[in-house]
Amino acid sequence: MPSLKIKTEVAELERIFAAVDELGSQNNWPDDFIFRINLVVEEVAMNCIKYCHMEGVSYFEITMDPGNDVLTIEIIDTGRPFDPLTDAPEADTDSSIEDRAIGGLGLHLVRTMTDDMRYRREADRNHLTLIMHKPS
Amino acid sequence: MQVTTENKNGSLVIVTEGRVDGSNAPEFQEALKDAIKEGEQKVILDFERLSYISSAGLRVILMFAKQLRRENIAFSACSLIASVKDIFAISGFDKIIPIHESQKEAMAALG
Repeated sequence: MPSLKIKTEVAELERIFAAVDELGSQNNWPDDFIFRINLVVEEVAMNCIKYCHMEGVSYFEITMDPGNDVLTIEIIDTGRPFDPLTDAPEADTDSSIEDRAIGGLGLHLVRTMTDDMRYRREADRNHLTLIMHKPS
Repeated sequence: MQVTTENKNGSLVIVTEGRVDGSNAPEFQEALKDAIKEGEQKVILDFERLSYISSAGLRVILMFAKQLRRENIAFSACSLIASVKDIFAISGFDKIIPIHESQKEAMAALG
């Protein structure tokens, strides 16, 4: 079960993608599923890289458990409490091009592409758990 | 990620190749900005070889689309791979950017 300690730096994305791709090929997952894992992991990692870094947090943790029926991804950080299920603004996916708000799409993509998303604050840490059904 | 341009039948075709993610989105933004010259009228974003894009890249595309609209430049996108097409649909980009199956169709639609 890959567990990564990630620095809150954008350059770390490369290492995250490599870990996802490796897990994907070990499990013979199709490309579109690996694409979706890369995407959801990047989106939550980028949030952490941006906001945790601003708060002076240098590292966070990602674990990916390919389990039996579902892939479970957990992101743990020591940043200030942030529940992406309730604290993030809704993305604008409807307005005209002139009025379309920029931003908020990342978590919208994560919500759409995962089958379940859970948050808990425990021992001064944010725990975000993402569940994805594996392709049959 | 690599961005190249070519002029075809009065349209500027911007071809994006590879991955656009949080680490290279600023370069993608610069490349799109640099591609537009004075007097441009029609732009086609060819994404046939775009293998991956996340919200960081979508943000750049949205800002670019807004710029083209402000400057009255007609534009569309074409040849998205299935995964990228999904991302565009989930983000509601298909409602603001005309998406075509091929460069040829995009060109015909722009007239």
